[in-house]
Amino acid sequence: MSSRIRWSGAVLGVLGLALVLVVHWQVFFWVSTERTMGVVQRIFYIHVPAAWVAFMAFGIVAICSAVYLWLKDERLDMAAVAAAEGGMLFTTIVLLTGPLWGRVAWGTWWTWEPRLTFTLLLWFIYLGYFLVRSSTENPQRGKRFAAVVGIVGALDIPLIHVSVQFFRSQHPKAVVINPEGPSLQGEMLTTLFTGLLAFTVLFFALFLFRYGLERMKRALTHRQLAGDGAPLPEGFAS
Amino acid sequence: MEYLRQMGALIWKDVVVELRTRERFAAMGGFTILVGILFNFAIDPTVVEPQAIGSGLIWMTIIFGGMLGLGRTFHLEEEEGAFHGILLSPIPRDAIYLGKVVANFLLLTAVTVLVFGVFALFFGLQFGGHPLALAGVVLLGILGFVAVGTLFSAISAGTTMGDTLLPILVFPVLIPVVIYGVTATSRLFQGLPVSEVDGNIRIMGAFAVVALAAGAGLFRYVVEE
Repeated sequence: MSSRIRWSGAVLGVLGLALVLVVHWQVFFWVSTERTMGVVQRIFYIHVPAAWVAFMAFGIVAICSAVYLWLKDERLDMAAVAAAEGGMLFTTIVLLTGPLWGRVAWGTWWTWEPRLTFTLLLWFIYLGYFLVRSSTENPQRGKRFAAVVGIVGALDIPLIHVSVQFFRSQHPKAVVINPEGPSLQGEMLTTLFTGLLAFTVLFFALFLFRYGLERMKRALTHRQLAGDGAPLPEGFAS
Repeated sequence: MEYLRQMGALIWKDVVVELRTRERFAAMGGFTILVGILFNFAIDPTVVEPQAIGSGLIWMTIIFGGMLGLGRTFHLEEEEGAFHGILLSPIPRDAIYLGKVVANFLLLTAVTVLVFGVFALFFGLQFGGHPLALAGVVLLGILGFVAVGTLFSAISAGTTMGDTLLPILVFPVLIPVVIYGVTATSRLFQGLPVSEVDGNIRIMGAFAVVALAAGAGLFRYVVEE
């Protein structure tokens, strides 16, 4: 791993962890309790930023995959893998925190509400993404297959939006991005944005570490195949 | 014009092979009849009326039976490097994909007719009074299904997991077809007016168009050597 990636990753990682501590302090001690839902609403400040970051990660996967198919630049594929793993982690957080809230607010751990369903399906689409990658003997082919799965998966995201509007939904409405401006006020909005910042920074720290790891792995494979003194392909020089 | 002729040649090849061997149709047809028999024992008619869950049973049977056939889309070409022959011919990659989609669509339509017959016979299902709307819903659903399934079967054929991987790739993406297809079919079975399924038909149409466009655009990267 080149020292630049490692240092940026370390700085972002420390900053991200610090912000995660700050947002937890805000969630538990600072922000006021929501009137109708009570204390359980506080999980919102973890759940919603995780969902935003998960969607952003899958956006990165889709864009990197599409451009990878076009330019065949190894770095884009490494970025897609790194983002997909981060996205899978944050989707898992969404799927774990959602039922905790739903148990209290809706009285059930799980309900087949469209937004829940599609988040779960997104998780499975990216499971397919990793399975395709790991089950090909020719790595170049695995990268192309994964890119195709990543793009098709991202095309599913608009259907999340459509389904939320088409079905009568019991999922809470968007409280920040809606036509009338944010309906969330004051310290609640601040806490939400702290959470968003914390998770975004943490995501990019994980992304950089994973990217660097993937690069080392591929450089190692390359050296094993081509001999120790062989020059590394473009994008691998440290 | 040339494009359609090339596509037509591929479709004709698949149709003739299927008509002569009847391999995939026999497997899928046998499967669907057996599923009908299994459902008969799995459902307690004193608890649940088959008519009430008929649309769901039919769609599940079509999809599981369809997976059986879709997994073998490129099976014939895998032998003796036949697929290299197709790739070397001056046919655009997207024409190969669309030809395979149409061939799969015809096969699955034949299987679907059988499924409806089997379920009418075994469970005495009533299909409602709008045969054209019902055909539209089912055919659009099948089109979206084979558009995704053909692309992913080309992928799964190139992996070490093979057909095992196909449902894991196809099912999550297919959910919109299942949701909108089953609700529309169920409404038509109940004899509700066609205006009740307008929205469903639009979404299923959009799904089919997006899936076909994505498949036609991405297929070349799947078969690239």
